[in-house]
Amino acid sequence: MSVIGVRRARRSGSRLASAPLALVLLAAVCALAAAIPLVYLVVRTADAGLAVLVDTLLRERVLRLAANSVLLAIAVTASCLVLGIAVAWVLSRVRMPAGRLGLLLTALPLAVPSYLAAYGWLVVFPTLNGFFPSWFVMTAVCTPYVALPVAAALRGASGDLEAVARTLGRNPFQGFVAATLPRVRPAATAGALLVCLYTLSDFGAVSMLRFQTLTWGINSAYGASFDRNQAAILALLLVVLALIVVAGERRTRGHVVAPAARPVPLIAPRRGLLPVFAAIVLAAPVVGVVVPVAGLLSRLLEAETIRTIDVGRLAEAIGTTLLLALAGAVVAVALALPIAALAARFRGRLVNAIESVGYLGHALPGIVVGLSLVFFSLAVVPALYQTVVVLVFAYAVLFMQKAIGSARSGIEAVPNGLIAVSRSLGLTASQTWWRVTARMAAPSIGVGALLVAIAVMKELPATLLLRPTGISTLSVELWNRTEIFEFGAAAPYAAALVLLAAVPAFVLSGVRGVAKEEEL
Amino acid sequence: MSWVSVDALRVGYGSQVVLDGVDLTVEKGSVVAVLGPSGCGKTTLLRSIAGLLPVTSGSIRVGDRELSSASVRVPPEKRGIGWVPQDASLFPHLSVGENIGFGIPRGKQRAARIAELATLVGLGDYIDRSPAQLSGGQAQRVSLARALAPRPDVVLLDEPFAALDPMLRTALRAEVAELLRGQGSTAVLVTHDQEEALSLADKVAVMMGGRILQWGSPVDVYEQPTTPWVARFVGDTVEFAGVWRDGFAECALGTIEALAMDGLAAGESIRVVLRPEWVTLAPDGADAHVVAVSYAGHDALVTLELASGDRMRSRIAAPDLPAPGDRVGVKLRRRALAYR
Repeated sequence: MSVIGVRRARRSGSRLASAPLALVLLAAVCALAAAIPLVYLVVRTADAGLAVLVDTLLRERVLRLAANSVLLAIAVTASCLVLGIAVAWVLSRVRMPAGRLGLLLTALPLAVPSYLAAYGWLVVFPTLNGFFPSWFVMTAVCTPYVALPVAAALRGASGDLEAVARTLGRNPFQGFVAATLPRVRPAATAGALLVCLYTLSDFGAVSMLRFQTLTWGINSAYGASFDRNQAAILALLLVVLALIVVAGERRTRGHVVAPAARPVPLIAPRRGLLPVFAAIVLAAPVVGVVVPVAGLLSRLLEAETIRTIDVGRLAEAIGTTLLLALAGAVVAVALALPIAALAARFRGRLVNAIESVGYLGHALPGIVVGLSLVFFSLAVVPALYQTVVVLVFAYAVLFMQKAIGSARSGIEAVPNGLIAVSRSLGLTASQTWWRVTARMAAPSIGVGALLVAIAVMKELPATLLLRPTGISTLSVELWNRTEIFEFGAAAPYAAALVLLAAVPAFVLSGVRGVAKEEEL
Repeated sequence: MSWVSVDALRVGYGSQVVLDGVDLTVEKGSVVAVLGPSGCGKTTLLRSIAGLLPVTSGSIRVGDRELSSASVRVPPEKRGIGWVPQDASLFPHLSVGENIGFGIPRGKQRAARIAELATLVGLGDYIDRSPAQLSGGQAQRVSLARALAPRPDVVLLDEPFAALDPMLRTALRAEVAELLRGQGSTAVLVTHDQEEALSLADKVAVMMGGRILQWGSPVDVYEQPTTPWVARFVGDTVEFAGVWRDGFAECALGTIEALAMDGLAAGESIRVVLRPEWVTLAPDGADAHVVAVSYAGHDALVTLELASGDRMRSRIAAPDLPAPGDRVGVKLRRRALAYR
């Protein structure tokens, strides 16, 4: 039975009569907040008129940007699929020295934002630019999205099937293809679609490596400021592409194979093959993390860099980043909790719709949310334009899905029996929520908040568009300096970002179990 | 003449020895059961024969081909050995027919062979079904058909009935035995269920701790187990301490006829082992009174207390049952077994 089947069964068991109206309303309001950027983007584009829309879409430049985005997304997805399945196979089937370490290393690139990896490579090779470096870096950064779920599926796939195929005349490779590959296909497809989504949405790496995709085009059209219609239309085009991918991803989600009846015996590699297997596993972590961090450190430790560190400015950027992360986490959790509480306990079309809208941020590229909220604040609440309020709201929209997911599973895990007991002891529904449910789910809610905070610290494109003048975060400082090839001056900010965001992300992922990585 | 021969087979994982010098021979067209508690190495034996595990020393031969030894390891796909794993392990992405046809080379005969086997296992109408739509028993039959389809030299069955409910298990067991014999297949069945082993197989190997303790016909294994452990594992026992008197055992039942299972000297202290159904109630037997009667319809397990205070169980056929408290005489229908 698939995992989703089990979950459904449990949910239907926990179904109560019907959701309280107040909770539904509250959750709906929170979900609608998440929908503002997308809705307003559509409104804004509609304002421009159909003629302008068609005219803009057919411009050669727009078509080229879209083609570049799609080309890069397809190329990265394909290479991640091949490398990711190979890594997963080695991780789950070959007896490697320090096998557990292999999983941790594989998860490592998830902790590093793509633009940081690009920056690290630029430090070492300043002339890198265009399609191939972007492909290379994005592949390294995104491989875990395929490798981790496929490795989990491979561990879950019964080894007996492959053994049966062997006794019926298949050689080892044919046996893998005939018996096991079909079992991991859903995991691989879901992972590949995530890779596709993140590559389409990526702004930092492609911009640093000067490959002109839609995200780059949106930023430059916005920066050129004379053509904001074009920026909006490009953003809409990107959203449509992203939503197509997300729709595909949702279809495949949850088809996880049942746990193995018999674990697959590990292969002891022949001496000559061990380096080959090690190279497969290490490729992505080395390209995505080791080389960039080494480049960063080498630049950081140069005398000139150390002499010219503007400590005051660095400290200010760290402080701003932390405060924004905190604010973003608080607002995101506040918006997420009603939705999580609703989705954890109730089913139905309305509840599903509310939850799906809450997850919208998952599909929206950061640059699109940033751009749309610029338009929205200018047109609807000009008093808030270029204030921290809009920036924090953007973070909440982008990342509240992380808080929803985490809080929801925590709330779901609180047994209904305990709630019934609490009610029978005279507590009201809301007293029970605070004294039982929220208390027991607190660790999960906290993890959700931490996930949001880390994501906020790593965020770049929305921050670039929405930050108030004079306010600067680590990612923005890193970006500004890299833009003008001041790699040395950028190094302290990059290092601070690694310490503040990448390290906690990695530790947290270790704590939660690397198998659940794809949620990060 | 032996068709499958396993000689002095040793298999280990790392430093752990799982099979420690196993010998087994299977005649062509016969069904052999390997019976043992879980963890005794029986599944490892099966996987070694299938070529799914390397062997440390010893050899596995089928016909005149050496398949496994310390230096030889014919890959599973070149062995011609069919395997029916414990959980059926049907390919979930393939239909029943495609599962059965998995090991048949593409060609004209393929579809006909699939239909033939599906009919043989009674699932002729299920060829286009998906494995998810099958019951446990049906899945096992498909698994068996799949293994038989390429006409293997030997079929290995790894506890094929363990996951089924008892009623179905008995029915399918008889069906499979008939099918294997009808096809003239040579089969090795691994099980921890003594009834299954005794009823299905021509020969039974009792296995424990990576060794084969006894090898013989089902009757031998049940009626003349080589050790008390085998006796207990294969069925119910009644046991007494006693003294050996050349062909007789002196014990709580008096002096009774007994068969020496070890080389015994007169006056040696022994363990007397018998089966509950060897006991009959007769007026001229040893004095006992009935403590309890556990009624099971066709017969009952009667607990008796002897004059010595020892208790024993006897299986008595239903119409002649005593009641608790009755005084009875106890006799044996055949010789008891005496072990050192």
